[in-house]
Amino acid sequence: MDEMSVIWLRVAVTLYSLGLLHAILTLVRKREHLFRVALAAFSVGAVFHFVSIVEEGIRNNRCPISNLYETLSMGAFLIVVLYLFIHWRYKVESLSVFIFPLVFVMALVSTMGNPVSAWSSPLVRNVWLTVHIVLVLLGIAALLFTAAASLLYLIQERELKAKKPRGFYYRLPSLGTLDDIISRSMALGFVFMTLAVIAASTWAFIEHKTAWVYQPAIAISFFTWGIYMALVFLRTTAGWRGKKAAIMTVTVLGFSALTWAAHARLGLLLKR
Amino acid sequence: MKLLVTGVSHKTAPVEVRECLAFREDSLPPALADLKSREGVTEAVILSTCNRVEITVTTDDSADPQAIVDAFLADRKGISTQTIGLHVYRHEGREAIHHLFRVASSLDSMVIGEPQILGQLKGAYAAAKDAGAVCGWLENLLTRAFSVAKRVRSETGIGQMAVSISYAAVELSRKIFGSLNNRTVMIVGAGKMSELAARHLRRSGASHVFVTNRTHERAIEMARLFQGTPVEYTRFVSMLPEVDIVIASSGAPHYILRKDDMMRVIAARRNRPMFLIDIAVPRNIDPAVNQVDNVFLYDIDDLQEVVNANLRERMKEADHAEAMVAEEVERMMARLKVAEVTPTIVGLQGQLEQIRATELDKVRRKFGPFTPEQEQALEALTRGIVNKIAHGPISELRNHAAAGNPEGAQVVAFIRKAFHLQE
Repeated sequence: MDEMSVIWLRVAVTLYSLGLLHAILTLVRKREHLFRVALAAFSVGAVFHFVSIVEEGIRNNRCPISNLYETLSMGAFLIVVLYLFIHWRYKVESLSVFIFPLVFVMALVSTMGNPVSAWSSPLVRNVWLTVHIVLVLLGIAALLFTAAASLLYLIQERELKAKKPRGFYYRLPSLGTLDDIISRSMALGFVFMTLAVIAASTWAFIEHKTAWVYQPAIAISFFTWGIYMALVFLRTTAGWRGKKAAIMTVTVLGFSALTWAAHARLGLLLKR
Repeated sequence: MKLLVTGVSHKTAPVEVRECLAFREDSLPPALADLKSREGVTEAVILSTCNRVEITVTTDDSADPQAIVDAFLADRKGISTQTIGLHVYRHEGREAIHHLFRVASSLDSMVIGEPQILGQLKGAYAAAKDAGAVCGWLENLLTRAFSVAKRVRSETGIGQMAVSISYAAVELSRKIFGSLNNRTVMIVGAGKMSELAARHLRRSGASHVFVTNRTHERAIEMARLFQGTPVEYTRFVSMLPEVDIVIASSGAPHYILRKDDMMRVIAARRNRPMFLIDIAVPRNIDPAVNQVDNVFLYDIDDLQEVVNANLRERMKEADHAEAMVAEEVERMMARLKVAEVTPTIVGLQGQLEQIRATELDKVRRKFGPFTPEQEQALEALTRGIVNKIAHGPISELRNHAAAGNPEGAQVVAFIRKAFHLQE
């Protein structure tokens, strides 16, 4: 990608990061205070994004969708435009919880089309990777909590529907409490996972130049993060509970395990 | 000292017998004064509730507590205990302590685990204390009974599960929503039962009550009771997405809520759970509504089923409670036995200390004064000898007390004699 174009895109990503912050705060604190700021930043970010795409198109004299980075950038931009239109027309704030992080990560990855110089010190490199691994582990721990609470929710829900109180009815916490645990641990897990994805893509970008995006292990990671985001979105906006939420949580957990397996040799890199 | 509990309860006597023996609140002080004034009686407590009348007395060893209580009942109530002998139970000593602990812990109640009995027992104790009829021993025993009851209540689930329909509704609401704070309730059809359930829910934290009724005036009237909002009967379904708990008890001859209504409502609520309580007969809500996700529908029989299950669960908890009470009785008995030998132990220690002091004085007069080092050495020497001598008999006394052997009294008497202890 062109130097100038990437600079504009980086500015856009910085502005989009406010949107990510808004999504995280909404999930963790259950209140939406940053939305107006985030939306403004998001709109301004879209302008820079547009400039970046035009610049890239003029420089190469073609529509900038010839490689993965350009395509991602274009895709992210189209989502932004579509979202801004939908918001202007229907005022659906809740969609932002899903859209803002998605656009941020897509745009972030597309800025990584240009190789940069390697780490200046091996210590920074190792610390960076360690931070990523710790974040992922925290995310998986939170996800395990979510899955366990979802399972208990299913059991208690069944007891209540059956109307014949037995041992579980007396010993399990109330649905309200379990629902609270699920929401909180899920939101926390998602925040950890998102930060982990950001840390990892930055790391991989610097470590492997531009080749990393095409690895299947990376694709699985992004896919896992994507369905986690879908779960968070469906729960917060559509109020998915009980069986649906439990199945979805277990699916996310399964994919997390798969991602882990795909990255099993990651720890070995630390010693190199 | 002797302890005797004489009483009748719902288990042993019909109401015709219980009412003859019952003491009204205002007749308690003179009755207690009368009982206390009788020869041999040291302390007395009278517990009189609708389910039981119990007279507890402690007397001197020489007195016959049973005869005293019989005479008291004959004088006060004009009843010969022989005529109602079949209905009366009497417990002495250890049995009496066990009985008191069980009563306080609500293990002997009609509805096991009901909390009123402890309050009633505390009332009886307060009345006896005011009348000057308890001091010391029985007071200690009752205080102990209160803390046993408290322990049973907090360490077993005996009082936790709802045993009435309206409380079962509250309990289920809690199982669904966790806390009831900020939950809203709608009453469909104004009736006594729904009013009661709504009252319980409101007291447990529910923030707002909507009332709807076919005759709107009645709805307004009832809404006023809860500082709630009356809702037009024709548009109550459109209000449902705002409501967490619905209590239906209208006289409608057909279903007023069907499955497709509720599917729309729950979608409008974004799947937040809802609890529907149908206490109307014929039922107001189509039973198929329970199949809708996140909707929990209970009719009157379902609530009764929950109450029955809770009662069974209370029975299970009662087994734990019984074991706990037995253990507490054991502990109380051990404490009492130790208390029995304590005067002897104290006397023995005093006696030996006195001998030591006298002998030490003699030595001082003959060979003194001593340097501080010598004083210290003498002190240590004599104290060591005395303690070694006392150790044998004291541990013998303690062992007999703890084991509760029948020859314990003989051991006490023998040691008192051997060491010339005064009575």
